[in-house]
Amino acid sequence: MAELLSGLREAAGPFLFDYTIQPALKIALVMAVVLGLIAYLTLAERKILGFLQVRTGPNRVGPWGVLQPIADVAKLLVKEDSIPDRAVRWAFVLAPCLVVGPALVIFAVVPFGPSSATTGGANWFITDVNVGLLFVIAMATISVYGIILGGWSSNSKFSLLGGLRSAAQMISYEVPQGFSLVVPLLMAGTMSLNGIVMSQLEQGRWFAFGFFPFGFLAFFVYFVAGVAESNRNPFDLPEAESELVAGFHTEYSGMRFALFFLGEYANMIVVSAIGVTLFLGGWSRPFPNVEVLSFLDLGFLPVGLAGLVWFTLKLVVFLFTFIWFRGTFPRYRFDQLMDLGWKWLIPTSLIAVVGTGLAKILFG
Amino acid sequence: MTSTKRFLDRIMLLDLFAGLGITFKYIFKKKVTVQYPEERMEPSHRFRGMFRLDEDRCIKCTLCARDCPIDIIYIDWHQEVNPETEKKEKLLDRFDIDLQRCMFCGLCEEACPTNPKSIWLTTKTYELASYERWENLYIDMAELQEWKVRPEYTDREIEK
Amino acid sequence: MTDIETTAPQPSETLLGVEEMELNFGPQHPATHGVLRLKVKLDGERIVDCYPIIGYLHRGTEKLFELHPFFQNVPHTDRMDYVAAATNNLAYVGAVEKLIGIIVPPRARYIRTILAELQRISSHLLWLATHAIDIGAMTPFFYTFREREHVLDLFEDYCGARLTLNCMRPGGQPFDLPVGWTEKCAEFIESFPENIAEYEGLLTNNRIWKKRTVGVGVLDPDVALDYGVTGPMLRGSGIDWDLRKARPYEAYSEVEFDVPVFFNCDTYDRYLVRMEEMRQSVRILRQCLDQLPDGPIMAKKPRVLKAPKEGEVYYGVEGPKGEIGFYIIGDGSPNPYRCRVRPPSFLNLQVLPEMIRGDLLADLIAVIGTTDIVLGEVDR
Repeated sequence: MAELLSGLREAAGPFLFDYTIQPALKIALVMAVVLGLIAYLTLAERKILGFLQVRTGPNRVGPWGVLQPIADVAKLLVKEDSIPDRAVRWAFVLAPCLVVGPALVIFAVVPFGPSSATTGGANWFITDVNVGLLFVIAMATISVYGIILGGWSSNSKFSLLGGLRSAAQMISYEVPQGFSLVVPLLMAGTMSLNGIVMSQLEQGRWFAFGFFPFGFLAFFVYFVAGVAESNRNPFDLPEAESELVAGFHTEYSGMRFALFFLGEYANMIVVSAIGVTLFLGGWSRPFPNVEVLSFLDLGFLPVGLAGLVWFTLKLVVFLFTFIWFRGTFPRYRFDQLMDLGWKWLIPTSLIAVVGTGLAKILFG
Repeated sequence: MTSTKRFLDRIMLLDLFAGLGITFKYIFKKKVTVQYPEERMEPSHRFRGMFRLDEDRCIKCTLCARDCPIDIIYIDWHQEVNPETEKKEKLLDRFDIDLQRCMFCGLCEEACPTNPKSIWLTTKTYELASYERWENLYIDMAELQEWKVRPEYTDREIEK
Repeated sequence: MTDIETTAPQPSETLLGVEEMELNFGPQHPATHGVLRLKVKLDGERIVDCYPIIGYLHRGTEKLFELHPFFQNVPHTDRMDYVAAATNNLAYVGAVEKLIGIIVPPRARYIRTILAELQRISSHLLWLATHAIDIGAMTPFFYTFREREHVLDLFEDYCGARLTLNCMRPGGQPFDLPVGWTEKCAEFIESFPENIAEYEGLLTNNRIWKKRTVGVGVLDPDVALDYGVTGPMLRGSGIDWDLRKARPYEAYSEVEFDVPVFFNCDTYDRYLVRMEEMRQSVRILRQCLDQLPDGPIMAKKPRVLKAPKEGEVYYGVEGPKGEIGFYIIGDGSPNPYRCRVRPPSFLNLQVLPEMIRGDLLADLIAVIGTTDIVLGEVDR
């Protein structure tokens, strides 16, 4: 593998390889894995929800329902693509793309494993922008446009209500999310995501447990805001079936609906990935500074792969918690949702920020 | 509950964790799903499924037709002298049931005076769906007697 | 269907110069528990008014009653409140017995009480399932239906059907309890209170549930009495009226139980009333199974039941949703002359606009759930 790549590098010339071919290969690999992960996340959700509800999930299409996502995609692809009569066509077509695109783009900066400094080989991420955190926040905000456009362009009362509600919810939960993201920034001193992971390794503890209790508060606020950002239970009023008949994506069918659906799950995975990177140590092992547990380093695997394994495990725990919440809690009413965001999460995140700042000054 | 305890309860979200705990332990419990059609649930002994007519027991009293709440049983009979026994007996011409409207209430079975009953609903058949529209909507006498009774239930036991 | 808007305020300009929006919660909607149509006038998210429009499930049941003799009408009564068929049957056969003057033997009375209480548990479990899932909690639905399977199995063992029971006749019971039924029932009763505790653990103290239901859908007790609301709706508003205590029928005078009454008049209190009623039902069942007498199950009655000429009677029982009553007029023939049903859901539905004025649209779903309507009963 390594010889193939270096041979290709010599053939194409180092500049072309480093800046065009290698990123393209990495993007293709990451996209393939992420899209597969999103599809199988739908199956995992249905199975786990089933298990929580004392029933088995899908198990007809393939053993344990493994072929279910493929069957779903096939069904959605052959469905009739209908656009409402007086819908605004360009907005109707553009809306799903605006929801999915930015969510996928964020994966460009997420560090799945260590950089070449640690592995001595390739970087285990696509790129490391030194304002990575700002990039993440910016991309997350663009999906709000997709939802507003989707709801408005459908030319239906229910969709409009759902779209507006969802937009208001997402905007108002971005404030506490942003504040809570400042806390790891303060603790690490850098905005680059890889740098944040490295500083967690250097400091020897995950930021969720740093400067207790402020790191934990920030983690908690980030998690709750993340659930609200991806429109999941208990904050899923905009798409609640029993209230508004699926809200802003009522009028979508076929592959466009599939894109919205995919966008929601992609959002879930992105929120989890960023949360893992910033608060739970990214690709590092638990208790990085405890020598006794160094077997957790998984020394039998190459360093990059070990990092990826830990990253995936933490991601899975996050995603399981999302699904667990969906299976347990009732839904907040819209005004209570906004109350929670503005009156409770923002002060909590502010306390976390101020506390971390003070602690940093006092204790370095 | 003192107010500090209640305050801590609210802050530490204990009520939410209790709910999460309840759902979590169900992941490891036995699931109640019955994998139909490989496994089926067995109907009870008195289950009112599709019915069956046993013409040899029927005395053609038409009580079942009279008692049906929606009048879906159609009976025609005539009297004839049986050449072998030289006695008058009733013969059944038509015994049709309109299955579009039957609600399987069991009143016809209750009305039947023979013992064992001539019309009885406990064939334990409830899968009456068919692929064509004209099947299984209007059952005539011949079909009623050969209704798909599961072989182990061809005779109903009398309840004491 | 013509719209009935006689006394409604017309869409008007509100203070900010914005028009009110009229939203049609159509007959087909996942949350309206049947084919209920609501026209909701909204000012932003606030509900200004709401008119229920019913009749989408009308089947002419009251006319059907007049066409057949008394005992043949029992299957028709199953299909009104299809979730709680046994209490419908009970009300009807009780009315017929009162009209004709038949005394039911004690064993039949106890069996009827047992069936009615089992039915109350089953109906409340279904109510909890749909109410919770409308508010967003999906899991109580599956847990309650698992328990409901046990109750429906008990019914199936007894009378052969799970939903449309046809389990009572004027004069007594058509069949006796099968062998082993009382043991099975006792087993169910033993294991059921922990399940109730489970549902409560998921919902009662949950802050999200409380936020969605406390203070929502407030029903003033005077308004409730004016409209003729009965059942848990009334007891959640502080009025202690339960037909099982006030006008005891069947075996209720021989068992001990409490009637839960709560005083805050909101959705949370009605939820508490119904949960507590399930526990009290278990208590009644335990006592009934212990005290079950032997004896005949069908009274001595004439072969053809004829109503007395000019006889008329009203008989009500406490169903899970409220007081279900039958007003039967006889004219000397085996068929009833007129059989009028007093459906609890119909009367409870009337107060929906009173409860919902001023609340938000999302509360409408919670309030429809707490009213516990079954459209089969509303429309007959």
